[in-house]
Amino acid sequence: MTKKLLMLLAGAALVGNGGMAGLPAPAGNASISGKVTYTGTPPKMKPIDMSKEPSCAKQHATPVMTENVATGAGDTLEYVVVYISAGDSDSAAPTAAVRYDQKGCQYLPHVLPMQVGQNLQIYNDDQTSHNIHPLAKVNPEWNKSQPAGSPAIDTKYDKPEFIPVKCNIHPWMHGYFVVLNTSHYSVTGQDGAFSLKGLPAGKYTVTAWQEQYGSQSQDVTVGAGESKAINFTFKALPY
Amino acid sequence: MPRKFPACFRGLRLMLVSLLAVVTLPAVVSAPKGSSTTTAQAAPLPRIRLNAIPAFARKYGLPCSACHTAWPELNNFGWVFRDNGYQLMNDRDSPIWQNPSYFPISFRITPNWHRETADHQPIDSIPGGGPASETISGKVTQAGFDLSGMDLWSAGTLYKNISFQLLPSSDPTAVWHFESAWVRFDNLHNSSWLNLKFGRFELDNLISEKRFLFLSNNGGIYQIYHFNVQGSTNNFGYGDNQIGVELAGHSKNSYTRYSVAVLSSNEGGVNFTTDVLPGAPPASRSYDVNLAFDQAFNGGSLGLERLGAFAYIGQRPTYYETTGDGSVPLVGLGNKPFYRVGFAGDLFLGKLELLPLFMYGHDSAYLGADLPSTSALPPGTPSPAFAGGFIEAHYYVNPQLVFIGRFEKVNVLQQSAVNVGSVPGNYGDVTAYSIGYRWYPIMFSRAGLAFHNEYSISKSIGIVPESGDGTGLPPLFPTNGVWSSSLFIGFDFDF
Amino acid sequence: MTIKNLFVVFALGFAGLFVAGATSSFAQSHVNSPDPSLGTPNVATETSHIGNLTGHAEEGKHLYRRYCIGCHGPDGDGDGMNAQWIDPKPRDFTQATFKCRSTPTGTLPLDQDLYNAITRGFVNSNMPSWNPLTPQQRADLVAFIKTWSPRWAKEQPGTALQIPPETPVTIDSILHGRELFQKMECWKCHGPAGHGDGPSAATLTDSKDNPIRPYNFSTGTRFKCGETNQDVYRIFMTGVDGTPMPSFADVIKPADAWDLVHFLRTLQDMDTKEAELWKTYVAAHRADIKPIGPDAAGGQ
Repeated sequence: MTKKLLMLLAGAALVGNGGMAGLPAPAGNASISGKVTYTGTPPKMKPIDMSKEPSCAKQHATPVMTENVATGAGDTLEYVVVYISAGDSDSAAPTAAVRYDQKGCQYLPHVLPMQVGQNLQIYNDDQTSHNIHPLAKVNPEWNKSQPAGSPAIDTKYDKPEFIPVKCNIHPWMHGYFVVLNTSHYSVTGQDGAFSLKGLPAGKYTVTAWQEQYGSQSQDVTVGAGESKAINFTFKALPY
Repeated sequence: MPRKFPACFRGLRLMLVSLLAVVTLPAVVSAPKGSSTTTAQAAPLPRIRLNAIPAFARKYGLPCSACHTAWPELNNFGWVFRDNGYQLMNDRDSPIWQNPSYFPISFRITPNWHRETADHQPIDSIPGGGPASETISGKVTQAGFDLSGMDLWSAGTLYKNISFQLLPSSDPTAVWHFESAWVRFDNLHNSSWLNLKFGRFELDNLISEKRFLFLSNNGGIYQIYHFNVQGSTNNFGYGDNQIGVELAGHSKNSYTRYSVAVLSSNEGGVNFTTDVLPGAPPASRSYDVNLAFDQAFNGGSLGLERLGAFAYIGQRPTYYETTGDGSVPLVGLGNKPFYRVGFAGDLFLGKLELLPLFMYGHDSAYLGADLPSTSALPPGTPSPAFAGGFIEAHYYVNPQLVFIGRFEKVNVLQQSAVNVGSVPGNYGDVTAYSIGYRWYPIMFSRAGLAFHNEYSISKSIGIVPESGDGTGLPPLFPTNGVWSSSLFIGFDFDF
Repeated sequence: MTIKNLFVVFALGFAGLFVAGATSSFAQSHVNSPDPSLGTPNVATETSHIGNLTGHAEEGKHLYRRYCIGCHGPDGDGDGMNAQWIDPKPRDFTQATFKCRSTPTGTLPLDQDLYNAITRGFVNSNMPSWNPLTPQQRADLVAFIKTWSPRWAKEQPGTALQIPPETPVTIDSILHGRELFQKMECWKCHGPAGHGDGPSAATLTDSKDNPIRPYNFSTGTRFKCGETNQDVYRIFMTGVDGTPMPSFADVIKPADAWDLVHFLRTLQDMDTKEAELWKTYVAAHRADIKPIGPDAAGGQ
């Protein structure tokens, strides 16, 4: 009994952003990790012209590039959200909030995953107004003005959805809120690597989502404490 | 197996028989079209056409059912649109908002199959005549495929708050006339209560003959809208378009409406004559007045209930200025008055609409005595008068299917002086029944199509029936009640 | 005899058409005749409440078919047969996103908001004012419209915006409103003179990716969501959902909001008290007025 309790606590420490409210997710220390790559030729990312907003343009020595298909060395894909889409038990949203910044007329991070019901805080770090307009279709769609120096917007989403976010004033700003049911998710960096840790033994469906190329899924079974490696490969088109 | 019609029709039994008659076709019997010895009262009417304008549907992107209960009849939304001068008042009414290729034109015609009968017609006992032939009273039947007249309609806005209508209309043989042509200045002083219309137009009738749901020769007119006591020289028809100017107004939702019109006393004729067709007598220099008012009440879940009253006060000449020793009339003189007054209603009980109308008509004794106003009227000369009305019902199964029916009765209350003593008291009385349905296979924002089926009959005492094509013969005896029937199956299309 | 047989054939044909016409199913199976089962199962139970009126979706369904379906479509998603030809596009009721509300951005409108929208119509669009319909009919339509989105079953409408009494129309109020117009960067879309030609105006798209222009104050037409000062207040405080126009409720205080309303009136080509005051002030103080737009430092 005690050992199980200990494992429970250990698992709790490993899961998500650390804090937990209500029923903890079942503990485990299996993990699934891997890389997301592409085949074919992806479109070339273009430099963004921010001359209409001088206060942002001057923050970038060289123009920032569009991010809809962000790649890295070795044909890796960045900003792919990899998460458990089946087999995971629902967990309550963590009490810690996730943070979204509007800085230099860009959304940081470009893709922000969060759990259903988790607090989301949106900051405007720029000297210009932004309007934050998440184009939800399943969740309510709202649109708020956030002038420079105004307080953070505090909100949350109650249903899983991939929500494109835009600023109407600065049309080059594109981002995503990825609202998930699971606490097991990971966003790839430039190296295309993802890692889902703290999983109890079981059979899972792992889904990788890229904003332009959609979703792919794989079924993975892990035993207790096992580490499995899987990879995702997206077919890239030049447009 | 085609069924033969019974020889005589009576009352409501007729209606039941007619339902079956709608789906059967009798043998075609051809008969010579008798010479039209028509009197002024039974002159051929211009084929009455009915107004539905798909050009509006194209302009505003609304389906026909938005403005029409069942086109061409208007619902209250359509009434407001019409009262506004064909404008939605959405700041996009001016034609500058339309694609320049939009043209406000619609046309409508109804190819059909129909069957007409009239009894108590004087026909030769032996076709072709001859010494052995006598004139007997018989029934004449004609049937076959046919065309209706055509409307080529342009209406809309010339500019914000300036609307217009131009309606050249033809009979089935493509003889054209201008049924209406007017310009209207809408919302004067920014008020919906002041609108000025100028030209030739339909009177502001609560129950419009132009926008009703009947098409056959016998059913396609309201008898009382064209009724005149036999022998009176009055040619007025409340359903005829007149020429003049009209001041009208309405509340924003058209629950309250009024109009005052001043019209030439020439029955809407052109070139200072009394008809749009050539050869009509010259007009007088006088003017008539038409007054109309109606008020709608919110009937809750039943719908809108509208009641109205109207009065037409006019005059007609009793003699003419002439030249050539009286052979050529130049202008009408000696005007004597007449009037038509009445009430009408447009009542909804859910899907059932009832349209009752009552009218009383009175002509000056001079008009009924065919006396010039310069003569003294003999004491006791009666003034021709009549009264009557109809009750019409529509049942809207849905916006694409409507069943229609009507019962109409007009009684002469006082015969004209020229006829008193030689005709029975009910000479000229009319009874009419109609039944039918319209099915709209498409309910669309570009064009309209209706499959129209109708059976209408009318009985006139002693005179040729007043019907949409005006043909027929007076019966042998003034006491004969002439039954005329129309069976009509047609495709009414409107682009 | 042959002709008689022909007529029998025709008679039977017409009889068949009569029967077909009389039975609803044929009439409504045609591509342009909507299915009698218009709407979702909610239609049987959904109601609306506007003042003393209770609307019923079952009644509203018949009205929708007559009046609304051509643009808003048989699925309530704004994809009616006319939609391809009109701009702005008809409302997609399945999203439950509405432009003119008294409730905060992202929340459901009140029944009264929908009723007002139907009654008023939307100027400069193909949505007419349905004022000629009786109040009961409009209430029934509101109830039916709600059945298109599942959100109405699960969410409550937002809390209606409390609009404080209007502050007096003074030149100080207008000048302060002008400062807000600059500070809140309204001019970025609406342009310095409110002509809808700001630096971001040309790239604006609505939530369905259709191009959209910001309101041009100078064309003299009425606002989409109403004509009074209260309506203007509500527009920028609740935002015009589904469009680029955001809500400023979190960043403008109520008293300041009235100042902005007064200034916005001066941008319109209409005879208002605000325009009068402004015209007089400009005549006397032209040199003092700083232009609206980016400042020398390139910031706000």
